[in-house]
Amino acid sequence: MSGRGRTRRQPWPVLEIALLLAGLIFVAPCVLALLNAFKTNTEIIMDPLAMPRSPRWDNFAFIFQGMKLARPMVNSLLMCAAVIGSLVTIGPMAAWSIVRRRMATGRLLRMFFLAGLIVPFQIVMVPLLKEFRLIGIEFTYLALLLHYVSWGLPMCIFIYSAFLTAIPRELEEAAAIDGCGQVMTFWRIVFPLLTPCTATIVIFWGLWIWNDFMQAFIIMGPSKGQLVFVQLWRFLNDQYVRNWNHIFAGVVVLSAPVTALYVLMQRRFVAGLAAGAVK
Amino acid sequence: MAIAAAKTPTPHPGRLRNSLRDALASVVLCGPAVALYAGFVVLPAALGFVYSLTDWTGWTTRPHFVGLANFRELLADERFAAAVRFTLFQTTMIVVFFTFGSLVLAVLLDRTRRMKGLIRGLFFYPYVLSILVSALLFKYLANYNDGAVNLLLRRIGLGAWAQDWMMDPAWVGYFIFAMIAWNALGFFTTLYLANLQTIPVELYEAAGIDGAGPFSVFARIQLPMLMPTVMVNSVLALIFGINLFGQIVVTTEGGPGYRTMTVAYYIYWLGVKNNRQGYASAVSFVMFVALMLVAAAQVAMMRRRQVTL
Repeated sequence: MSGRGRTRRQPWPVLEIALLLAGLIFVAPCVLALLNAFKTNTEIIMDPLAMPRSPRWDNFAFIFQGMKLARPMVNSLLMCAAVIGSLVTIGPMAAWSIVRRRMATGRLLRMFFLAGLIVPFQIVMVPLLKEFRLIGIEFTYLALLLHYVSWGLPMCIFIYSAFLTAIPRELEEAAAIDGCGQVMTFWRIVFPLLTPCTATIVIFWGLWIWNDFMQAFIIMGPSKGQLVFVQLWRFLNDQYVRNWNHIFAGVVVLSAPVTALYVLMQRRFVAGLAAGAVK
Repeated sequence: MAIAAAKTPTPHPGRLRNSLRDALASVVLCGPAVALYAGFVVLPAALGFVYSLTDWTGWTTRPHFVGLANFRELLADERFAAAVRFTLFQTTMIVVFFTFGSLVLAVLLDRTRRMKGLIRGLFFYPYVLSILVSALLFKYLANYNDGAVNLLLRRIGLGAWAQDWMMDPAWVGYFIFAMIAWNALGFFTTLYLANLQTIPVELYEAAGIDGAGPFSVFARIQLPMLMPTVMVNSVLALIFGINLFGQIVVTTEGGPGYRTMTVAYYIYWLGVKNNRQGYASAVSFVMFVALMLVAAAQVAMMRRRQVTL
């Protein structure tokens, strides 16, 4: 510690090297998973740190044949697309309407949506299942979609509202004077200006839905839900013998798309996820 | 494009038609959001509070109104008390670590000049992983027979220190905390880093001229400037701790016994696994009140800060 005080003026990479090492140790569990995904189970138990003798690609074949992960991957992607598509149409319209227009109910609506930020999932969980059963869509993808979108709306509106207050309103007023209807004004003029914010929303919810296990597991019920992590969990609970190599292969494949996107656009990812700070 | 039009006065096609068009626009713009949110968040939440006054047991029987009986039962419920204790234990560790641990890390990361993106990227990375992935990795590390931690301990001759980290009641709480800390450290650190970047360079330059060491820079400049984020992070960590749920489901499921049951997990256990929806709703009502108090305190603090600014 005292060493750093002396070298303060001319940066000497002691701090960098120390932090890099700490960071590598920090992600060591992930590296271990990657390494062990290419081994046999006995190899893993004998020595988890050793390099694989010969890469076992059949571990990865197994997660598609044994765990049946191909279909859930498609399902998860479709679910991501549907939820994000709904959120970025419904959310910004409502946010704009609440922030910009002098509605008598604007303040009230704002409080109404903000309250949703502190409702824990446990409160709505059981009544929501009953409600879905009454409508006749219990344990369906439609039910899960409705839940994801409604559950995501408060934060989506909150993020868009914060962004909207920083955009000057002259453009919109000009459009309105030109005789553009309000809905048209929104889509033609305002929505394109919100693109950075929309990117944040896409990253945040894409990641959240791909990674979600809990809510899909509860809303989709015991047997029907086939999103990626629910399927992985179901497989692990069915197995009597835990085969670490298969677990690691599954973990690696399901984290690969997220990791690839993260490496490609780290800045955007960090900004997008930090936007979730309001929740 | 609209400059010419702006000079001519806007037509007034009658007040009634105007306000009708306004109302219609409001319905188109706000309608879907209000309908979805009211139907699938507010309505079930409200129903939950109604159920907390009944003895509803699930899917078949009709609920009976029982007044505050559920809340009276709660006062004497030993499992609930244990769940509250465990939740507070975890929340304390979470708040302290994410308020101060990530503060120290952020200040260190802020001083790096080379490999900045790489180093930060490593610490943030676990946060983009699913909690199920974190859970599986930590279950593997902590496994008694084949786990990496025990294997390493045995190899360096400290085999006596090997523990069943996840099943031993003395260790399981720390095991869960370690997983949470690993998973979310990057998130809380990022909030500090964002705040650190807003500190004007002039302050550091002035401190440099005065010959201030890194510790007094931290104590005199960085810490005071970071106070807003210290506040935000501690509140976020508090909410995070009170809501602790998924991490329990994917690791210990409340076990061994009900040693690691959190309040949120207890609600799930009662409502989904034991068909005591009425009672579960009463517990979730108590949890909601706790979260409301935190939110109210947060709003009060922000108000005060705005006044002092």
